[in-house]
Amino acid sequence: MLEARQRVAPLVPDIDPGDLLLILQSLLRPIGTGRRFFLRRRASGGYVF
Amino acid sequence: MSSDESFLQDVVAALHRVGLEAIVVGTVAGVLNGAPVMTQDLDLLVRDTPKNREKIGKLSAALRIAPPVQVSELSKAITLLGGALPIDILFDALPGGLTFEALRSRSSRVQIGDSAATVAALADVIASKQAAGRPKDLAQLPILRQTERVRAALKGGKSV
Repeated sequence: MLEARQRVAPLVPDIDPGDLLLILQSLLRPIGTGRRFFLRRRASGGYVF
Repeated sequence: MSSDESFLQDVVAALHRVGLEAIVVGTVAGVLNGAPVMTQDLDLLVRDTPKNREKIGKLSAALRIAPPVQVSELSKAITLLGGALPIDILFDALPGGLTFEALRSRSSRVQIGDSAATVAALADVIASKQAAGRPKDLAQLPILRQTERVRAALKGGKSV
């Protein structure tokens, strides 16, 4: 992850470093490894994973 | 495997069982292309044929959920409710003139458990959301575009 960030950051200098880390974590984590991406609406009106 | 991934795996396996050719589109396609986004439903694009309409009925039975219902009189789209999450089924094309055939030609296959899903390209997800123009679609565009650029950079090319 850190190696990827070091390599990619200079190519996308306008992307916020925190956003870049978030994107890299998502890109480098394949499906089937426990990813969560659905929000479920509760009766109270809130949302949960 | 998370419950979200299990849900997706069940749907993809059921699509294969009933022989329905579908392309995963929308935000879930963004997720499967690596974007850090979230959604409340699963969008599938299929060709609108009598046979496919029949297969959609079989799909809901295979998933043990309610039969398809039309979302709005203004749209052909239908929804399958009663499962862990709603499944929206769209027909023939997405906003932006993105036809089933064009999307499929640029799609990729993503392995989910024992089955592979046909997933729309990230560029097409972006184009469809831009064309749809709804606030919830437009809100996702920056992170989707950034993901596309980072992915290109990761592959060794220049950022797009």
